[in-house]
Amino acid sequence: MSTGPESGPVLGRARVRAFGLRTRLLLAFLLVAAVSAGTTAALTYREARNALLETAQDTAVTSFREQVQQIGVGLPVQGGEDLEELLRGIARRGKPHPWVVFAEYGSVRASSGENPVSTVITPELRRAARANPHGSFERVVKDGVPYLTIAMPTVFKTGPYSLLPSGLVLYAVMPMTDEQVNVDALLMAARDGALPGLAVALIPGLIAARSVLRPVRELRRAARNMGSGRLDTRIPVRGSDELADLARTFNESAGQLERTVRELREAEERARRFASDVSHELRTPLAGMLAVTEVLDEDADHLDADTARAVRLVSAETGKLAVLVEDLMEISRFDARAAELNTDEIDVAEAIRKTLSNRHWTDDDRVRTQLPDGIRARLDPRRFDIVIANLVGNALRHGGAPVTVRLRTEARSAGTPVLITEVMDSGPGIRTDSLPHIFDRFYKADAARIRSAGSGLGLAITLENVKLHGGTIRAGNLPGAGAVFTLEIPLRAEGAGG
Amino acid sequence: MPRVLLIEDDPSVREGVELGLRRRGHEVRAAATGEAGLAAMAEFRPDLLLLDLMLPGMNGVQVCRQVRERSQLPIIMLTARGDDFDVVIGLEAGADDYIVKPARTEVIEARIRAVLRRLDDGGAGRPAIEFYGELAIDRVGLTVTKAGRPLALAPSELKLLLHLAAAPEQVFSRQQLLEHVWEHSYHADARLVDACVARLRGKIEDEAGSPRYVQTLRGFGYRFGPL
Amino acid sequence: MRRARTRRRAAAVAAVAVAVPLLGGCGIQETDVIEAGGPASVDAFFNRDSEMLLFFRSPDGGLSPVIRTTGSSTVFGDGYAESGSAAQNPGDTDGPVPTEKVVVALLAGPRKEDRAAGLTTSLPAARPGGTVEVELLPGGRVTTRLPLALEGLDSTAVRQLTCTIAYSQDADGQVVVELTGQDGASTSGTCGLAPGTTGNVPGTATSGGAT
Repeated sequence: MSTGPESGPVLGRARVRAFGLRTRLLLAFLLVAAVSAGTTAALTYREARNALLETAQDTAVTSFREQVQQIGVGLPVQGGEDLEELLRGIARRGKPHPWVVFAEYGSVRASSGENPVSTVITPELRRAARANPHGSFERVVKDGVPYLTIAMPTVFKTGPYSLLPSGLVLYAVMPMTDEQVNVDALLMAARDGALPGLAVALIPGLIAARSVLRPVRELRRAARNMGSGRLDTRIPVRGSDELADLARTFNESAGQLERTVRELREAEERARRFASDVSHELRTPLAGMLAVTEVLDEDADHLDADTARAVRLVSAETGKLAVLVEDLMEISRFDARAAELNTDEIDVAEAIRKTLSNRHWTDDDRVRTQLPDGIRARLDPRRFDIVIANLVGNALRHGGAPVTVRLRTEARSAGTPVLITEVMDSGPGIRTDSLPHIFDRFYKADAARIRSAGSGLGLAITLENVKLHGGTIRAGNLPGAGAVFTLEIPLRAEGAGG
Repeated sequence: MPRVLLIEDDPSVREGVELGLRRRGHEVRAAATGEAGLAAMAEFRPDLLLLDLMLPGMNGVQVCRQVRERSQLPIIMLTARGDDFDVVIGLEAGADDYIVKPARTEVIEARIRAVLRRLDDGGAGRPAIEFYGELAIDRVGLTVTKAGRPLALAPSELKLLLHLAAAPEQVFSRQQLLEHVWEHSYHADARLVDACVARLRGKIEDEAGSPRYVQTLRGFGYRFGPL
Repeated sequence: MRRARTRRRAAAVAAVAVAVPLLGGCGIQETDVIEAGGPASVDAFFNRDSEMLLFFRSPDGGLSPVIRTTGSSTVFGDGYAESGSAAQNPGDTDGPVPTEKVVVALLAGPRKEDRAAGLTTSLPAARPGGTVEVELLPGGRVTTRLPLALEGLDSTAVRQLTCTIAYSQDADGQVVVELTGQDGASTSGTCGLAPGTTGNVPGTATSGGAT
């Protein structure tokens, strides 16, 4: 009855539940949705951004080329104001934004801006522009600002159809701040598009999780029903997926379990009915026999010695047989759950005193009592009498006088107070290996004793009677010597009136 | 010695009980069926009926009812423990007490004596007839009238009423009543008391549902009055 | 334990799966150098009839063409004399400038305005009195005798000569030029500066005194 082992798994289950099937399914669904929404958004964003940038770049390169093609230069190119004025003219007409235009020729460096040499143009771009006469561009990020740098080598006509690189290379540097703003706006749009998408995905996610989990929930409910004894529980099998297989397997197992349990119950029922029937059948002849034992006892004195002994033996054993049959009947009723509790509110101390005095155990000093007055409890007086009589009788037979019967009540934190009755004897105590079996039927703790006065069912009946009262009984040994039986019955004295 | 009519279908029980009681000096007539028993009654005129509940044909409860229609003959049922339902029905039908089979003859005889014993308490120093409301109780003549009409009370009912009325407004627990009225042990079946109280109320009370004379004190027992 | 690890791994995979496409291009990235169309064609006001094209060395090691008008007669005052030949007459202002004259101008080195633009020459300073002889051969070849030794000239110098002669001879510069020095060494090659031609480096041909 200890609750120790229970608390651990309960805590563990709560922690596992946080990552339960529902949560995991939902997470998986959200993950898929997040990946697809994110990927779509990212790809769209990238395409849009590239298109945006390419448009800007192509416009810039094309218009730069056009601008450059309108200039005329003398060779060798002369640096100075004229050149700078030329570059400023190109820079002003820059598309889509104004450029800073740089010119490099031999050792001549000029620009439309303040610095004749750009810090943004990379050596790679310069090398490419010199190595082959192609327009080329490169996107550079400097100090967090993206720039488009265009290199435009120039050629001039040496003949009607022939061109020759002039050695003059013009560079345009265009900060892409506007494009940056647009791209950032795109990014925001992609993100703002993906997040509501995720939120919307949550709803089908929940529905999907629900549809997957419903069979699992049914399974759980069914398993709980089975556990509480409804073995005819079955699960509806839907579809042909793994969960349906699981449901089928569950149903098959449940069917087998039900069959097995039914067979066991039937076998048990048969055995119980047999014991009950045997007792019943024995009782009727016993009733006749018991009625005439007196006659035998009285007349035995007038018979010859052997006949008298035989007659007395028959009489005595008839009595014992009657007790045994009555006890068997009582046990059968407990097994058939046919035992009824006819409770009455009684004074417990008085009830115990009556039990002891009816059996003449208080005539001498064999039984001592510590029975405080005023304890009233709702008990079945007849069954309580049997319990006390069995315990005290057992203590007197197997333990040793004096036997102490002690009565007290104890408040339990759980709720109702309990009535505690202790029966202690002064014998050698119960052997440790016998303790677990002391309430078994026909169990003989004392192997040397072939037959005792009791039926061998006394303690088993005691246990059943106590359980019928909702109580518990324990057998143990006192520190010194002697056995102690502790009987605990919840007190329901006042509240539950019958 | 009282004359006992025994109705019991099982031959061995019938014979054993008859033999044991006769040895103790009772005059016993045994019958195997309810019908035979009822037929023997007029001729035998028993002082007490020992009635097995489980009978072929007419069962014990029916026999009990038929007897009660005509007389207040003391009736003790013979029953086996576990037939609890039959006990209650038998008691409601008017049986005064019951004995669980198998029982020794001395137990049976003790019960017979208890049922037949007159209540001898409270006789002295009392008026011959006591009046409580509409009830008039004659302790000497052992008759009870209500509003002048005599009431037919079975022995256990009469004894219970006399015992309660002897100490008006005193509460008796059912265990006490079992010990004093039925001479049972303290732990005997309290349903005996409840069934008898129910029958008594049906005869003396105006409304059995709200009793005046025999009142219940829940959790403690019964008392007579206050009116 | 194992479940926790599996979950963590799954989470990592998911994070990567989400992060790669998302982080793969936020904002504006740098690019490599990307080619975009041809060069820009500018007007250099080059008139073949009155102007010549000389190739000097630019600071990055390449060749830069400069346009030189023939109006100035100082060229001849430098003491060079061409052994008149072919269709062009010296002093004749109609038709292309004679190649001999052009080579002489090249050998005279960059002028002040050329030097101001950082242009230099790899050719040795000309000795006075040297003559340049140009001889046209069939099949688009031209042979030039130079008043200097070829031996010891670097490749830039050879290219200066080759390109200058080639563009003097032909508007496209598509001429195989044979150079012969005073030392008897000779080399041949094409200019290959025009866009679209594979950079055929001059001076890779035979050398040595075959004549």
